[in-house]
Amino acid sequence: MKFILFALKNLLRNKIRTLLTVLSIAVSVTVLFSLLSFTKGYEKGMTSELGKMGYQIMIVPRGCPYEAASLALSGGKIPNYFDYSVLEEVKKIPEVEIAAPFFMSAIIRPDEDRTDIYFGMDENMFQMKKYWNIKGSYFKDENSLIMGGDAAYIEQTDEPGQKFYVREKDREFVVTGILERTGTKDDGFFFIPLKAAQEMFGQKDRVTGIAIRVKDPTLIPTVVEQLEKLPDSQVITMSQLMGTMMNLVAQAKTLILSIIIIAIIISALGALNTVLMSVFERTKEIGVMRAMGAGREHVFQLVWVETLVMALISGILGIGIALIGMGLVEKIIKKLLPLAPQGSVVSFDPNTLLICLGFVILVGLVAGIYPAYRASKLKPIEAIRTE
Amino acid sequence: MTKELFTLEGITRIYKRGNEEIKGVDGLTLKIDKGEYISILGPSGAGKTTFLNMLGCIDSPTSGKLIFYPDNGEMIELTRMKENKLDEFRRENIGFVFADFFLLHSLTATENVELPLIFSSGKKVEDGYSKKVLEMVGLGHRLTHKPLQLSGGEMQRVAVARSMVNQPKVLLADEPTANLDTGNSEVIFNLFEELNSMGMTVVVATHAEELAKRARRIIFLQDGKIVEDKGGK
Ligand SMILES: Nc1ncnc2c1ncn2[C@@H]1O[C@H](COP(=O)(O)OP(=O)(O)OP(=O)(O)O)[C@@H](O)[C@H]1O
Ligand SMILES: [Mg+2]
Repeated sequence: MKFILFALKNLLRNKIRTLLTVLSIAVSVTVLFSLLSFTKGYEKGMTSELGKMGYQIMIVPRGCPYEAASLALSGGKIPNYFDYSVLEEVKKIPEVEIAAPFFMSAIIRPDEDRTDIYFGMDENMFQMKKYWNIKGSYFKDENSLIMGGDAAYIEQTDEPGQKFYVREKDREFVVTGILERTGTKDDGFFFIPLKAAQEMFGQKDRVTGIAIRVKDPTLIPTVVEQLEKLPDSQVITMSQLMGTMMNLVAQAKTLILSIIIIAIIISALGALNTVLMSVFERTKEIGVMRAMGAGREHVFQLVWVETLVMALISGILGIGIALIGMGLVEKIIKKLLPLAPQGSVVSFDPNTLLICLGFVILVGLVAGIYPAYRASKLKPIEAIRTE
Repeated sequence: MTKELFTLEGITRIYKRGNEEIKGVDGLTLKIDKGEYISILGPSGAGKTTFLNMLGCIDSPTSGKLIFYPDNGEMIELTRMKENKLDEFRRENIGFVFADFFLLHSLTATENVELPLIFSSGKKVEDGYSKKVLEMVGLGHRLTHKPLQLSGGEMQRVAVARSMVNQPKVLLADEPTANLDTGNSEVIFNLFEELNSMGMTVVVATHAEELAKRARRIIFLQDGKIVEDKGGK
């Protein structure tokens, strides 16, 4: 214990130098911890988001799968449409339990910096949204509207029955229901009857996509096979979608991780240098300690413990900063990642914490070996004689 | 129990500088008894420091034999011991005092005195012993002062306290008063006398002849050799 206190005192001697070293390691740890937390949270968020969708397959007009993926998860304006007749084809497939057509489009108001997404749907889709808790009710007529939790908040609508006017399309809706927040993209949408959406955006009898629930998950491949025969359509399974996105994220993660590893190696070298310098500065002192009976092993331990203590402090500081900054990281990531799920993408995981701490301890141990070895190699009289 | 503490047989330390060989000490042969108080005198470069370094095992002789007799009646040939054993030997038996004090400026007086205890795992030292030692050297009122807040004389007294805290058998002092005025030098030598009267063997290398004469035995070195050894038994 006295040993550790002594090591700590030594670190405090050149406060600025120690502080800079600690900061450089801490920053690396912060980024590492944030990245690991993000990946964990992203996985969680995606899984729960997809799980809540209530359907396993979606068909959309032919196009880039990422575009389709982004459509499925973030909502938006897709210029391609299906003819309504495709729906009939889908319904013919016996393994399909529900086929829910939807029409999605957006109204953009650049001056207000907002994009309203209108999601046209019918009862079939409503059946899939079993997890919805509606204050109020499902559509009553063609002019009904259900607001997502966030959308309602922005519109300051808290009671069903209020009117909602879309000035671009000169169309008035009556809010029949308000959704409790679901933690998915649904929260930001305006849900309107399918027909109303088609009319409002001038695409009569056309749909953006069809969400399909299969009677039994094991039948998914069979259904996919049959759907793929439909002309001009793109079949996306939710597991595929998830896989694609996780891949994208994994690639980015590998890249960032390698940068972090390099940053950590550099800061470890910085720590090594700091400790080595302090060893050189203390050569005489080490000689005196040897004269007082300190063995090589004591000198080695002392320097090693110093590096370790420094690394540990850096680690704790780094993780602390990461925890405090989690919200900010979340915001940045969501800005950078258009496909981020609605819920939290950054999650605190004790394992991540242990991994980061373990890693920083390892860095401390490794960085400390050389300076400790050098210190322990000093010969007592020569050390005492140095100026 | 023998009364001998050290036996030196032909201790020679050769320093190499390029092709030049300098004999720091040259064939020293002598005995030192338990409880002796010895002054080492001699001109600059005579080998006083080298001699003390040999005794304290912070440097090893090029040739010769150094034997130490601990209290248990054994006989230890220090010149044949491994480095870690020598560390242990120093830890348990030797206290050093240097001309330049060599205190750690980041530590308080008490912490400086306690420093050797960090390394001595085995030896039990009662709690508050370091405070007691500091009181003994007359610094009971300077316990939490840092070295730079102390006078030179006080610093050296802290160094003496530090050298005592392990309760060593031998105190080796290399020009302990080189940086002190006469008054403070007196104080330090008085301390040595006191320690010696408590049974500690004291060996002091010094240029201060008057003070050196207070020792019972005076060894005079020149060119690494003993030219006079008076007052021994
Ligand atoms: N590391 C060294 N390398 C080379 N020569 C050395 C070394 N240390 C000491 N010497 C030489 O050994 C001789 C004895 O030196 P030592 O330091 O023991 O003398 P000293 O009696 O302590 O002198 P002083 O009174 O000036 O302290 C001197 O001639 C010195 O130059
Ligand atoms: Mg000398």
